[in-house]
Amino acid sequence: MKRMNGMLLISIIPFIIFVLLFLFVPLFFMLYSSFQENGGTGFTFSQYMEVFRNTYYHQAFKNSMLISFFSSLIAITLAVFAAYSITLFSKKVQDRILVFANLTANFAGIPLAFAFIVILGNSGLFTLLFKHFGWDLLNSFNLYSWSGLVLIYVYFQLPLAVMLIYPVYQGIQAQWKEAAALLGASPSQFWLKIGVPIIMPSIAGTFSILFANAMGAYASAFALTGSAYNLVTIRIGAITTGDIFARPELGSAIATLLGLTMVLALLINEWLTRRIRRDLS
Amino acid sequence: MSFLTIEKIKKSFNNETVLHHLNLSIKEGEFVTLLGPSGCGKSTLLRTIAGLIHPDEGTIHIDGKNVTEVKPKDRQVGMVFQSYALFPNMTVQENIEFGLKMKKLDKESIKQNVARVIELVELTGKERSYPRELSGGQQQRVALARSLVTQPKVLLLDEPLSALDAQIRKNLQKQLRSIQQELNMTTILVTHDQEEAMAVSDYIYIMNKGHIAQSGSPHEIYTRPASEFVARFIGNYNVLSRKEISNLFNDDNGYTRDIYAIRPEAFSEAPVKDGYEITGKIQKMTMLGNITRYELEVNNVCFIADHLHKIEEDSQKRETITLYLNRKDVISLT
Ligand SMILES: Nc1ncnc2c1ncn2[C@@H]1O[C@H](COP(=O)(O)OP(=O)(O)OP(=O)(O)O)[C@@H](O)[C@H]1O
Ligand SMILES: [Mg+2]
Repeated sequence: MKRMNGMLLISIIPFIIFVLLFLFVPLFFMLYSSFQENGGTGFTFSQYMEVFRNTYYHQAFKNSMLISFFSSLIAITLAVFAAYSITLFSKKVQDRILVFANLTANFAGIPLAFAFIVILGNSGLFTLLFKHFGWDLLNSFNLYSWSGLVLIYVYFQLPLAVMLIYPVYQGIQAQWKEAAALLGASPSQFWLKIGVPIIMPSIAGTFSILFANAMGAYASAFALTGSAYNLVTIRIGAITTGDIFARPELGSAIATLLGLTMVLALLINEWLTRRIRRDLS
Repeated sequence: MSFLTIEKIKKSFNNETVLHHLNLSIKEGEFVTLLGPSGCGKSTLLRTIAGLIHPDEGTIHIDGKNVTEVKPKDRQVGMVFQSYALFPNMTVQENIEFGLKMKKLDKESIKQNVARVIELVELTGKERSYPRELSGGQQQRVALARSLVTQPKVLLLDEPLSALDAQIRKNLQKQLRSIQQELNMTTILVTHDQEEAMAVSDYIYIMNKGHIAQSGSPHEIYTRPASEFVARFIGNYNVLSRKEISNLFNDDNGYTRDIYAIRPEAFSEAPVKDGYEITGKIQKMTMLGNITRYELEVNNVCFIADHLHKIEEDSQKRETITLYLNRKDVISLT
């Protein structure tokens, strides 16, 4: 038994090294550098002070949170129904749909932005086609604006949400439905009183993941709007690569705050879930 | 007067017939058991009665009303599942009152009814617990209470005790039977445990491959199995061919059927009038609590004989034993 544990430990070492190198070391340097003067010359709170004082950064946080919140909300609402309808197909079809969801969930960043530009941009395929036919469906829609950005975010959030929520329905036992039906509940009463409360923690958990996923998204927004749209990740990108001169310490401070926002969102989520499902606490 | 009548029920899945035109008739207040091996269609029949499965052919009447096309919730049947199917997000109290809330009973009568069944199934003090905080036996009693509280006309139990260990199962069997008698609840129990069926039922239907193999009181079934399948399924019957029988008794008079059964405890050490005398070689002797089981051999025929265990047993040293058997204990099978 002891021997087994030793072997296990050895086999886990590469993983530990990997986690240390690619998670803790960067995290540590980010934290460390966020408390440094420009150029890393000494300890200071000034980087954080600057973020707190500058309304431009406030706006970046607000925009990031709004787009993350709304794209996650839209994606999760659609995914709850989409994932349920998938469970109604035969096993074979279900597997195919999941493969497709997996593909699209990974289709993000610059290729995704480019695909949208080709289709819905100023001289995009559909934009021109609709113009040609004289339809003004897309006149009020501008891909390079907030609504375009939300569309792209929803596009990569939705398949991820479907994939995360799909297994949750496997946890709903068919016999709960039957028991409820025999006790006089209609299908909607079943979902209201039993189904939804049971899947709620998973939905909330998925929402957290989507929110974090969107908060950290960078390439799609950058490819679409350049640095024109004021998001936290775009700010960090601009500051660390430096249009004029790079300020990695300030970037670190913003990144730390971004991380804290995600942690906070997670905690709120946890708390809400416990309020809804008293049996889990 | 039949309270629950099932006529010519047929059900197939993917062209495979699972229920072959079954007929059952159950009296009010009767405790009936569907007994049979795994896959013989017990659950399918039970779920058809509940309305969770629609039969291809046939009718179901409950209390004089044809319910074949009636939705499960309007059939007034309660069902307890093998997996309990308690709602995990609800407390014991909430689980039990669910059915009454769906029926829109007023608060006061909900409270009274729930309190009554909680007492009945001996769960007092557990009202605020969640299912996962209860033992298997307690969960099963919650499931029972949840079905009983709506006062169904028929209570259906699909292997409700099979997930529990032997001790708790025995206790719950007794409790189940006494609750059923107290409420005079028409009950159908599904099980593949023949001892359980014998212990609790008024009447047993033995099922095999979607057919009713035999039906009758536990006593009838035990003492008069009609077929080889039943004899093998319900106990330790010695099932012997005609040739084996004539070898065993050195007598082929009157044994014209192909197959016969003899209960192991029918052999006695005391001589019986007009019986057979058989002297067999003891192959093996096993203690089964208060019973001693001999595995014997006579003229190349092997069989088992059970005896109440006696203190001064000396057969360990014995090589042969002489037993007596009444002719009427040789049961012919089909
Ligand atoms: N929904 C279904 N679809 C297809 N086949 C089914 C379905 N339900 C049951 N069957 C088949 O019908 C047969 C009888 O099943 P059933 O569940 O009634 O058996 P059972 O007697 O309850 O067995 P067990 O003791 O194992 O519970 C089995 O061969 C099973 O595979
Ligand atoms: Mg079954």
